[in-house]
Amino acid sequence: MIDVTDLVVSYGTAIALDHVTLAVGKGEMVALLGPNGAGKSTLANTLAGLLTPASGTVSGTVRVEGRLALVPEGRQLFPDMSVADNLALGGWRSGQRDPAPVYELLPRLAELAGRRAGVLSGGEQQMVAVGRALMSRPQVLVVDELSLGLAPNITADLAAHLATLNREQGLAVLLIEQNARLAFELCSRAYVLESGQVRAEGACAELADDPRVASAYLGGAIT
Amino acid sequence: MSAFLTYLLNGLAVGCAIALIASGLVAIHRVTGVVNFAQGTFAVVAGLCTSSLLGLGVPHGVSEAAAVLLAGVAGLLTGLAAIGRPGTTPLSSLIITLGVGVLAYAVEIVLWGDQPRSAPGLAGSVTIAGARIQTQHLLVIAVTAATFVLLALFFGRTYLGKALTACASNPYAARVVGIDTRRMGLLAFALGGLLGGLAGVLITPLRPISFDTDVTLIVNAFAAAVFGALTRPVVALGGALLLGVAETMAAGYGYGSHQLEVALGLMLVVMIVQASRRSAIHEEAV
Amino acid sequence: MKRIAAAALAVAVALGLPLVLDDSALAVYVLLGLAAIVTVGVSLLMGFAGQVSLGQGAFYGVGAYTAALLALNGFPPLLGLVAAPLMAAVFAVLIGMPLLRLRGHHLAFATLAVQLILLSLAGQLEFTGGDIGLQGIPQFGIGSWEMDSAAAYAWLTWAALGLVMLVTHHVIASRPGRALRALATSETAAASSGIPVGRYKLVVFALSAAFAGLAGGIYCFYTGYVAPGSFPVLISIQYIVMAVVGGLGTVWGALAGASAITLLVQGLDRLAALPGMPTYAPSVLSYAVYALVLIGVVLFLPQGLVPALTRRDRPGRRGRAS
Repeated sequence: MIDVTDLVVSYGTAIALDHVTLAVGKGEMVALLGPNGAGKSTLANTLAGLLTPASGTVSGTVRVEGRLALVPEGRQLFPDMSVADNLALGGWRSGQRDPAPVYELLPRLAELAGRRAGVLSGGEQQMVAVGRALMSRPQVLVVDELSLGLAPNITADLAAHLATLNREQGLAVLLIEQNARLAFELCSRAYVLESGQVRAEGACAELADDPRVASAYLGGAIT
Repeated sequence: MSAFLTYLLNGLAVGCAIALIASGLVAIHRVTGVVNFAQGTFAVVAGLCTSSLLGLGVPHGVSEAAAVLLAGVAGLLTGLAAIGRPGTTPLSSLIITLGVGVLAYAVEIVLWGDQPRSAPGLAGSVTIAGARIQTQHLLVIAVTAATFVLLALFFGRTYLGKALTACASNPYAARVVGIDTRRMGLLAFALGGLLGGLAGVLITPLRPISFDTDVTLIVNAFAAAVFGALTRPVVALGGALLLGVAETMAAGYGYGSHQLEVALGLMLVVMIVQASRRSAIHEEAV
Repeated sequence: MKRIAAAALAVAVALGLPLVLDDSALAVYVLLGLAAIVTVGVSLLMGFAGQVSLGQGAFYGVGAYTAALLALNGFPPLLGLVAAPLMAAVFAVLIGMPLLRLRGHHLAFATLAVQLILLSLAGQLEFTGGDIGLQGIPQFGIGSWEMDSAAAYAWLTWAALGLVMLVTHHVIASRPGRALRALATSETAAASSGIPVGRYKLVVFALSAAFAGLAGGIYCFYTGYVAPGSFPVLISIQYIVMAVVGGLGTVWGALAGASAITLLVQGLDRLAALPGMPTYAPSVLSYAVYALVLIGVVLFLPQGLVPALTRRDRPGRRGRAS
C-alpha cells in the first residue's frame, strides 16, 4: 500500500530523511519507531503529500496505493468547530459528509457530536482526529504519535479500535510511535528511524530482542 | 434632534459601505493571512463600471450585478497574483496587492479618465421621526444587513463555508483533510472582490468615485477591520458603523475638513491599545 | 581590496558626474540621490526588521517642513538640515513604540494613516502654509557662503547618500545588525535567543525615518518650496518599489533600485511627452511601470536585482516556515 524507496527530504542544508526505504503491505500494521527529530513527522507529511515545494526538496520515489489518511501529530483539529463539523470536513476527499459510519465504529463520538472540539479532553480529541481521518474511507492510515500526552488506558482503547479496523476491514496502518511497547503489541513489523535513517527493521518479536532497540525504546526491559 | 437622527442614519449607511469592504478584508485575511491592499480598488472598479453601464442605458440591476461580478473577477485575479505562486509570504503578498492597486490606477485612468464619476441610485427620500433620509441610504443599510446574514449562513452552515473557516482556523489541518488551501484562498479573494464591488455600486450614487478613492476606502476599511483584529467580521461591522457615524457627525457639525483625521486617529488609537495588550513574542513578524 | 577599489570608483563617478551633466540631467541626478537616501532606509527596514512602511513619504515631508520652517524663521540652514532627520526620527519613535509590537501590516497601515493625516493637516494649518505650502525658502549655506548651483546640490545630496550608505553598512555589519538579520526571518527565534527585538526594530525604524528626513531637508533647500502635493502617497509606494527592485537589506541594492526606477520613469516621461500621446499618458505609464515592476520582482526575483546579479546569500524572503 505504501512503497517508499530511497526517499531523501531536505530543508535547505538540513537533511530530514536520508535514503529511507520502507513498505507497508495490504492489511498490514507496521510501526515506525524513533526519537524526537528523527524525521518521523517529515515522513508522515511526505506520505500525505503535505510537503510543499517551498518547504523542502524531495527525491526518491513514494508510491501510495489507495486512499491514505493521516492522523497528524498533536491531533490538529479545528478547535472552534463542533465534533460533527470536524468529522464532516474529514470527508472532504471522499465526498462522504455523513458521519454515521464513523459513529458506528467510535460510538463515543456520536455523544460528543455537538461539542466544540477545542474543549474536549486529549483522549477525546485524539478520537476525533482518528474519526476525522476515517471519514475519508482510507485504505491506509498513518497515525503520528497516537499515545502522545494520553493516559495509558485511553491509548489502549484507541489502539484496540485501530486493531479492530485492521483485522476486520483490512485497513493498512503505519503507526508512528515513540512508545515502542504499544507499537510492538499492535504491529507485526517495525522500522527504527534515527537521524533520518532507517537503523533497524524487522519483525517486532526480533526487534524486541535486539539489545540496542530494547535499551533505547523499551527502557532496557525486554518484554 | 432630527438633524442628529439624519446624521446618525447617514452615518450608518456610510459605515455599512465601509463594513462591506472591511468584511472582504477580513475574509481574505482569515483564510490566507494576507492583508489585501487592493480591497478598496474592487469598490472603485465596480463603482466606475456601474456608472458607465448605466450611462450606456443598461438597466438598473443588470448594471450593478455586472459591476459586482467584475469586481469578483478582479478579486480572483488579485488573489492569483498575491498567493498563486507557492511560497509567497504574507508580507510579499501585501506588497503584491499594493502593486495590483497601483496597476488598477493605470487601467482605470485609461478606461474612465481621472475625473470623479457618479451614478444614479434610488431617487427620493423618506422621513423617519422627523428626519429626512435619502432612500439610497436605506438601501445601503438593507443590502449590508442582508449580506452579513448571508455571510453568516455561508460560513456557519454550508460545507464550502465551513471548509473556508477550517482554512482560517488551522491551515495545516485543512491540508491534512485534503482541502486545497490555496484554492480556498483564491475563493476568499473572489469573495472579497464581490463584497468590495457591492460596496462600490452602493456608494457611487452617494459620493462620486475616482480612481484614487481606493486609498480612503481601504484605510477606512482597515480601520474598521482592526477593531476585530482582522479576524472577527461582526466586530469589524461594529467598528465600521462607529467610524461611519463618527465621520458623518464630524462633517455634519462643521468639522467636515477633519473627517479623515477622525477615522485615522481612531484607527491608530485602536491599534495602539491592541498593541499594549498583546505581546510580540507570540506573533511572527509578517 | 577589489571591493574598496570598486567603492572608490563609484565615489569618483558620483562626484564627477555633476561636472558633466546639463541642467535637466542634474535635476534628475539630485532627485535620484534623494530617492536613494530614502530607499536605503526603506530597504533596511523591510530587509532587516521585516516591516513595511507605506508612509515613508511622511518622514520625508516632516524633514522638509522642519528644515523649511526653521530656515524661514531665520535659523541657519545648517541647523535646519540637522534638525530634519532628528525630527523625523523622534516622530518615528513616537509612533513606532506602540505599533512595532504588532504584526507588520499594522505598521504599514499606521504609517500610511500618519502620512494621510499629516498631508491633511499640512493642507489646513496656517503655519505650514496650507495647500499652497511654504515658499521662498532660502538657499542652503553655511555662514556667509550660499549654495546656489545645481551641481553643489548634487554634491550635497550624494555626500549625504554616501553618509547614509556608510552608516547603514556599519549597522548591517555590527553585532546588533547580524542579530537583526535573524529578525527578518523569525522574530520568535530572535527573541528566544535573547535579542531585544523590540528595541532593535525601533532603532531601525527611527534610522529609516531619519534618512527620509535628511533627504526631505535637502529637498526643501533645493526646490525652495514645500507643499502637501510634494509628498503624495504614491511617493511612499515608489520607495517600496525601489527597495524591492534593488534587493531588500542591501546597501547597494537601494541605490541600484532607485537608479533603475528613476531612469525608467524619466524615459517613460519622454515617451509620454511625444506628440500624439494622450494627456494622461505620463501618469498611466508611471503607474503601470511601478505596478508591473513591483509585482514582477516580488514574484520572480524575490531577492532583488543586486543580490540576483552578485549571487550572494542575503536575508531575502523565504517560504513560510512549516
